[in-house]
Amino acid sequence: MSKRALKFLIVTQLGLLTACHSSKSGPANEARQYFVAFSQCNNAEPYRAAQNALMTKLWAQHTDVKFVISDAGQDDNKQIAQIETFIREKPDLLIVAPNERAPLTEVMGKAVQAGIPVICLERDILEPNYTTYIAADNRAIGRMAAQFIVDYLTKKYGRPQGNVVQIRGLLGVEGEIDRNDGAHEVFARYPDIKIVHDAVADWIQAKAKDRMVEALRANPHIDVVYAHNDPMAIGAYLAARELGREHEMIFVGVDGLGGPNGGIKKVMDGVLAATFVYPLCVDKAVEVGNQILRDPNFKPDKIYTLHSTMITPQNAAEAYKQFTFAE
Amino acid sequence: MKFFNARMNASQHNTEPPPLATTGPNPAPSSCPKGTAAAARPIWRRLQALPALAGIILVAILLSPHASDGSNIFLETGNLTDILRQVSVIGIIAVAMTFVILTAGIDLSVGSILALSTTVVAMALTRWSPPVGDAGHIALAIGAALAAGAAVGALNGVVVSGANIQPFVVTLATMIGVRGLAKRLTDNANIDIGFGRDVAAVFADFINQKAVIIGSLLVMAAVFWLILDRTVFGRYVRAVGDNERAARYTGLPIARVKIWVYTLSGLLSALAGVIYAAENHQGNPNAGIAYELDAIAAVVIGGTSLMGGKGSVSGTLVGTLILGILTNILRLNNVDSNVEMMVKAVIILVAVAVMAGRKAE
Repeated sequence: MSKRALKFLIVTQLGLLTACHSSKSGPANEARQYFVAFSQCNNAEPYRAAQNALMTKLWAQHTDVKFVISDAGQDDNKQIAQIETFIREKPDLLIVAPNERAPLTEVMGKAVQAGIPVICLERDILEPNYTTYIAADNRAIGRMAAQFIVDYLTKKYGRPQGNVVQIRGLLGVEGEIDRNDGAHEVFARYPDIKIVHDAVADWIQAKAKDRMVEALRANPHIDVVYAHNDPMAIGAYLAARELGREHEMIFVGVDGLGGPNGGIKKVMDGVLAATFVYPLCVDKAVEVGNQILRDPNFKPDKIYTLHSTMITPQNAAEAYKQFTFAE
Repeated sequence: MKFFNARMNASQHNTEPPPLATTGPNPAPSSCPKGTAAAARPIWRRLQALPALAGIILVAILLSPHASDGSNIFLETGNLTDILRQVSVIGIIAVAMTFVILTAGIDLSVGSILALSTTVVAMALTRWSPPVGDAGHIALAIGAALAAGAAVGALNGVVVSGANIQPFVVTLATMIGVRGLAKRLTDNANIDIGFGRDVAAVFADFINQKAVIIGSLLVMAAVFWLILDRTVFGRYVRAVGDNERAARYTGLPIARVKIWVYTLSGLLSALAGVIYAAENHQGNPNAGIAYELDAIAAVVIGGTSLMGGKGSVSGTLVGTLILGILTNILRLNNVDSNVEMMVKAVIILVAVAVMAGRKAE
């Protein structure tokens, strides 16, 4: 073997050894160690970053649990491969936040077949390939948001009429479909409330800003922007501000995260007119997950549904204290 | 230039270039340099990346975590076949990319063609009802997707060989345009190839089996290896990349070679797209972003030179495996996926440096 090939091998080996050993956990102990794996679909979204932070914090309270998060970067194929690899490691509990419904259904079925307890977090899949599914009621959120918008427009014009711009997340996600359908259930009763622009921004603030610029150019008068998450609502606000039209309309989002970058603060600052707290679902997941780990006779419900709260300037300050976790 | 002398000796009075994809007789390699007469080059010369693959496998076995019964997780059959399945989509694209890079070209549009293919096959399966049985419907849907990919590839080839524009620029334009086309076809939505009993489900269930997916990769690799090593067309591909001007003076059908090479790249990207659609149960116009980079990485690690003329399909397979095993062992050890990318980057650079060093020897 040539000198160079040898050098290549040595460098590669050193690199791999460093990468692998730097993430190995502490000394082996005699007590039962539990391995909990969490397949997160996209760390880059603030909602999911908050999920990760809370999940890590809650599991850290149990010293006999080794907790690992993988990030699929919004790539279905990557998430499938990551879950397949987790299955090989035989975790005691697998939590999955699926990127999209159809692609992830089969691999989660494989996990269930391999005898691993699976918690499906916040987003649904096409078949019930999980031990339990923890979610919030997105349809109810859609209805609440639409009702808020109807009430606002009625107050503004004396009757329910106006131009609404809708900005949507990833279309393959059930939550997105529900936030849309729930709102339309309500809007359908008011024919003078028109959706003048319907754009898709994949939950990303930067994309929403671009889509909003297009909406602003196409529509000389907009009353409300209903974005299906806070980052997109903020992106829309930034676009409107750049064109000097931010006072022409109000912005409504969903998520209501605490902390200085979350939606609640934006309501306090007057950027968003309202947001809806979208539960992280993490508290419930860790609570149910712990029971699954420690109690072999525990049979969780198939579905746990969590509820949402509306945040407006009236209750924002109070909610901010409640939903901001100390780091 | 010795290669062309050898060819002239073999067919002295034949001024017309031989037809493309036939298996021509190998010229007597009396004075052929190492890189060209396949029969003369021993196998360990051609598989330059093989020691690296062996090294990575060794390290993977050493670093693999162990299951509760003590067995080595990396070596589990299930895990090894997982790796093969996970690299198949990129692997198929990389096999055809080898040909493109051998002509000193590049194809950046493979990811977009994959996306177009997934949408075409999903649309054909869910929104079209031809008067044929399930098998016929599936065949037509796959055929449509492959035809779309080949058409884009042919377009790439025609523009590269006809207009005087570099392949990088041409395929960059196609990459953007075809992505737009795929998104327009479905209005940027995904098309679910659902579960159930309809023809789309039959398609997904059949194709989404490890044997079919891995088999496709191996069959494509075998076919393309045969073409490259055992046909006149394969020789032409190397010749065009090695020294295009000399090839032109010798009268090789350069335009036809290039058109074929890019068409094949489009065709295989479409095949990868069909598999992707079945694996993910979805036609997705946003699929395959940055796949061209993974494919090029696999080709380069396998020893193919971006300057053209030098490389092999077997090398590409080895390169694909190296990347797949690397990713697997990092994931089995729960290394952060961002660190994963950084490690990949180092491996690519080191591999290319080693190959460059080899060439100078």
